[in-house]
Amino acid sequence: MDKPIISFNNVTKIYTLYKNDRDRLKALFFRPKTAKDHMALSHVSFSIKKGESVGIIGDNGAGKSTLLKMITGVSFPTEGEVFVDGKVAALLELTAGFSQEMTGRENIYLKGYILGLKDEFIKTIEEEIIEFAQIGDYIDQPVRTYSSGMKMRLGFAINVNIDPDILVIDEALSVGDAKFKKKCKNKIASIIKQGKTVLFVSHSMDSVKEMCQRAIYLKKGEIIYDGDTEEALKIYSEQKK
Amino acid sequence: MFEIFKEHKGFGRQILLLAKNDLIKTYKGAAVGPVWAIVKPLFTLFVYWFAFTVGIRGGHIVDVANVHGHTVGYPIFEFIMVGFVPWWFISDAILAGAKSIRINRQFVTKVSFPVSTIMSYTLLSKLFVHFMLVICMYVYMIFYNGGPTIYNIQFFYYCPLMFMFFIVLAWSTAPMSAFSLDFYNVINSVMSGLFWLSSVVYSSYDMDSDIIRKIMYINPINFFTNGYRNAFLYNRWFWDYPQFKWETLCVALEFVFLFILGLFNYKRLRKRIADVL
Repeated sequence: MDKPIISFNNVTKIYTLYKNDRDRLKALFFRPKTAKDHMALSHVSFSIKKGESVGIIGDNGAGKSTLLKMITGVSFPTEGEVFVDGKVAALLELTAGFSQEMTGRENIYLKGYILGLKDEFIKTIEEEIIEFAQIGDYIDQPVRTYSSGMKMRLGFAINVNIDPDILVIDEALSVGDAKFKKKCKNKIASIIKQGKTVLFVSHSMDSVKEMCQRAIYLKKGEIIYDGDTEEALKIYSEQKK
Repeated sequence: MFEIFKEHKGFGRQILLLAKNDLIKTYKGAAVGPVWAIVKPLFTLFVYWFAFTVGIRGGHIVDVANVHGHTVGYPIFEFIMVGFVPWWFISDAILAGAKSIRINRQFVTKVSFPVSTIMSYTLLSKLFVHFMLVICMYVYMIFYNGGPTIYNIQFFYYCPLMFMFFIVLAWSTAPMSAFSLDFYNVINSVMSGLFWLSSVVYSSYDMDSDIIRKIMYINPINFFTNGYRNAFLYNRWFWDYPQFKWETLCVALEFVFLFILGLFNYKRLRKRIADVL
């Protein structure tokens, strides 16, 4: 049996909502009475093996983003355990973590360091990234001078070229013109072919069906179904009616 | 408990890179850029010198007791300059340190990032500016006060201590300010008053009241401003100040207290910050 690359063990995430700023100040020292809890995920357990591609479906507010945030290591569970083994590349907010004053090239290194890569490795993928992003001479200019399209392209290029173990994709993502979009799709397809683990969040039934054998259907923070994609989509569309 | 150290492991190069980036950000878009880092302090110095010598007449000389067994008078300009140099770092470090996580929120809410290094590189960038000011001050002191002297090497005792002291403080203040803007405003208000409670434009070593002089040991800022004066102005070893044991003990206890408090606060708030920013 393969060891799971991602596993959620009875994970609950509760966001505490403070009524106002005064309560936030109080919350530094004790829990204010008026604070309300919002349960974003409730006792979620699943595990994903290496090489699986899994679709995550559900309405807005079902807990999809919270789940992804915990996989990317931004957010932490209130209860339970999240275990992620490997480099995560997240195609969620591509321009996230860019430093505006640094050049594109420096940002490649910055992002690399954040992901725990070594200088030598970044050097080997540096040209590949610049080539893929089609940024040209701008690579040595500060990122603040980039157009939003260029930033997106650079962000995407870095994330897919760092040789991730886990790729997290948000379908709502739009990167550049049609030509670049196609390039992205091909790249993602080739990553899946390499046997990497892919998590795919989408509202579009067709793309999920196309890319994943397995799907997890979330509703109000709970897993309604976890298994075959066809079955998951069937339940999802039935419940929608 | 020691996740702060774990987060720093292998992150040295990146901290340097980000500190440089922070510097560029502070002075970007200005034609003479980093020159402002010097001009602003110079102007402040001039204003205080003017107020003390021309405004409040008779303030030309500051008398300091127990310098090599005598009471020695120092020109007010040199006296406040050597006090201001560490003060500028301290006030920058406290304010920028407290604000650091809030300002760099993209590193907290968007990517998985060793958050405690934010405080480190923010203060490091302030330290670069501090080095520049120290060099300017040193050149002036060599020309007008004689030197260099062996006592100057005490800089390498006080400066790293000062840096560490205020990083450890930021371990508490930065996550708390990220959580609540009101907390940052509290710090901001305290800072504006703290200047006059610190030994920047006067000597806390030479206050008439014995009790007040001892109370002044509690303020760690005095330890550093007086320390810089030992190193650059008084030209004496810090152990030549009769009560150096008391002031050192105060600062050491405060450091340990802030260290533990910082580890505790960071651990307590680290996982909640991303949810509230």
